[in-house]
Amino acid sequence: MDNASHLGVVLDLSPKQWHLAAQPSNPHPITLVASLSHLLAFLNAHIACKDENSLALFGALPGKSVMLYSSTMPVNEEEIQPADANTYRPFKVMDSTIMKHIVSEVEALGEPEVEEPIGFVGALTKAMCYINRVTNGSTSSTSRNDDLATLPDPRILVISVSPDQSSSYIPVMNLIFSAQKLKVTIDVCKIFGGESVFLQQAAHLTGGSYIDIDRPDAILQYLMMSFLPPPGLRQLISVPTQDKIDFRAACFCHKNIVDIGFVCSVCLSIFCQPVPVCSTCRTKFPIKTLQRLNASRPNAAPGSAGTPARSSTPARTATPAISANSLPRSTSINPAAVPRVVSNGSAPATSSPMQNGEPR
Amino acid sequence: MPSVQQASTDSATASEAPSHLLLAFLQSQSQNTLTRLYQRPSSCLSIFRLLGPLERQIVMNLLWLESSIPASTMATWVPHEVRKTYENSLSILSRLHILPQSAVKLALNPTFKTSLRHAIIGGGSSGSFGVPATRDEKHSSPSIEVLDAYALERWETILHYMVSSGIATRPSQGVLFLLQRSGLMASIHGGSLQITSLGFQFLLHSPHAQLWELLLQYLHMVEERQMDLVEVLSFLFMLSTMELGREYSVEHLSPTQTAMLEDLRDYGIIWQRRATSKRFCPTRLATTLTSSSPPLPAAGGVSASAHGQGFIILETNYRLYAYTDNPLQIAVLNLFVTLKSRYPNLVVGAITRESVKKALTNGITADQASRQIISYLTTHAHPQMRKNKPLLPVTVQDQIRLWELEKNRMKSQEGYLYTAFASQADYEYVLNYAKQLGVVLWESSGRRCFFGTLEGHPNIRGFIERRTAGNA
Repeated sequence: MDNASHLGVVLDLSPKQWHLAAQPSNPHPITLVASLSHLLAFLNAHIACKDENSLALFGALPGKSVMLYSSTMPVNEEEIQPADANTYRPFKVMDSTIMKHIVSEVEALGEPEVEEPIGFVGALTKAMCYINRVTNGSTSSTSRNDDLATLPDPRILVISVSPDQSSSYIPVMNLIFSAQKLKVTIDVCKIFGGESVFLQQAAHLTGGSYIDIDRPDAILQYLMMSFLPPPGLRQLISVPTQDKIDFRAACFCHKNIVDIGFVCSVCLSIFCQPVPVCSTCRTKFPIKTLQRLNASRPNAAPGSAGTPARSSTPARTATPAISANSLPRSTSINPAAVPRVVSNGSAPATSSPMQNGEPR
Repeated sequence: MPSVQQASTDSATASEAPSHLLLAFLQSQSQNTLTRLYQRPSSCLSIFRLLGPLERQIVMNLLWLESSIPASTMATWVPHEVRKTYENSLSILSRLHILPQSAVKLALNPTFKTSLRHAIIGGGSSGSFGVPATRDEKHSSPSIEVLDAYALERWETILHYMVSSGIATRPSQGVLFLLQRSGLMASIHGGSLQITSLGFQFLLHSPHAQLWELLLQYLHMVEERQMDLVEVLSFLFMLSTMELGREYSVEHLSPTQTAMLEDLRDYGIIWQRRATSKRFCPTRLATTLTSSSPPLPAAGGVSASAHGQGFIILETNYRLYAYTDNPLQIAVLNLFVTLKSRYPNLVVGAITRESVKKALTNGITADQASRQIISYLTTHAHPQMRKNKPLLPVTVQDQIRLWELEKNRMKSQEGYLYTAFASQADYEYVLNYAKQLGVVLWESSGRRCFFGTLEGHPNIRGFIERRTAGNA
């Protein structure tokens, strides 16, 4: 129980969103600089809890993602100010490395006309890869393997200020699956930018907590109480969980978040409208089915075509439609009822859609 | 997830287990002493690290609050099933005077709060993390390898001295005194120092526990030597937060702390170029005081260091192969293994009934012997062994326990043997009397003798005397 834990942090560094967050018109404006000082105190506290705790910080920047700090990074002695007697040296090294990297990355951004989409998925993927590397260890050295195999409770904290990009639905879902497999907990701290459907799902499915911060000026206290305890400790001192989760998915064709989706019975790809040929697995659907689905489309879905997908009766149609908004939005949702894992008796659907790779 | 569930049950039991050795010592100190200690950020950070995980989280939850919060608010964060663990944690914190006990409001000790905040976000001017020495023109600072070698050499000198019962190189006078005071070694009939049963147990502990045991003993001696406990403790904590491989200046140390330098140098905790040097380096023994990483670089020669800590392979046929050329490790193994042959990097032996019994008579106390031997074998198991489940062969584990029970089979009791009765009637007459008193432990009518307890002797003796007097 009292083992070292690994914390991966994904920090959203979108200049536009941070600018919006700092507008005085907000009820609680928060600047990047202020949040960073809270975050650094939190990271120090994580290291303070145990000398062996490890840390990796990744920044999501427009169009790219970078590693800002990791515990295993070699320290560049010359760049750090000389040691002084009033600070604990590891904290100082970590804080100044992080700040230096953030400043240089943000300065390198320049001032493009249109901001590129944030490299959020990339940062999250890197954090996951890092955990995979430290938990599985390198095969070259056996003793190292022993040390790292005892690294339990890896977790990722996502600090987000940007709204969802619906185009990142598939990669995010893939990440959630890998996180479940690696037993990584994903926590989400939403400072600004509205509710995030995907991150809510990520937190819920990996057993983490999703917190939309009401008072960003007190972010440190949120971080300390909700995100500092490693997953093992959360049995003893509970952390807030979501009382409602938005389980909607994004369609594969237009990357829209849909209330009602149409799921390919072979590969479980989701579409916002009935399609004759699945774009992922090239399955052709009977024209009759298409007609029937189209007929039932506008608002009749929940009654006629919506339910078969979740019932256990084998559907005769190749493209059963399911309705996501007919699900109650509450914590009582059984994750098995989520559209993406619904499979049907009529088709040999063995794998989840997201593992079939990107559709075109 | 079942794995998480498992963790929680483990932790519930773990938190009831005794916490770190030092915390028990700190709890026995006065509030005044502790508050003075908490003035230094490095001490707060180190003590914080020694706390259990739940206590740490409680401290962190309260650390950034300016005002106190109602105890009931905090309690709502704790699930009902683990309420007991939580209350246990609160009481540990209150005994350390970190979180004063109160049924209504929870607020950290203000001194502790300020110092821990300083430790985490920096600031303050206490200089409690050690003043680094300016770069020395003549000598470059020692490399980490040098420091490790030094710490290892010093530490193993102490342990080796204990194992060899005073034949190997003698450590310094201060160390000898400490070993004697702590009861790890004792001089028998005024002769040379001999290892005691406590000392044997000590040898089987992990280096981290050994180090703290010695330091605690040192702390107990502090008051006799009229040193200030707070100064001593805060110096130890300062060392634990220092950086390995960096030189620190002695100029800002108090006289007490300067006096400690010599002792700590003998234990291998700090390194100095010369006794009069104006600078010192903490070794790995110092910097890992509050962490759980191994305090010594892989003990032993090249072969052992390549495999980290583990070097022992134990087979189901009780044969034991130890890949080590370290005399200390071999000496420790020799405590409970019959060594058969020795190669440059390998020692072969077997765990036998005789060897385990020898260890038991040597004083590894009976109720813990098997546990200690097994835990020693487990912690030093070779990486190849780690693939086995369970790690050690069950047959061997059980047999060691059985051998231990064998020793417990015998019970000794003081008493008197009554023999040479003149006739069988005499014998039975006295025996009946003794039986009525319930003091007979053993009897053999064939040999006409019986054994009675110590308490029964005056009565039996009186009875026999009266009877012989009556006959005469």
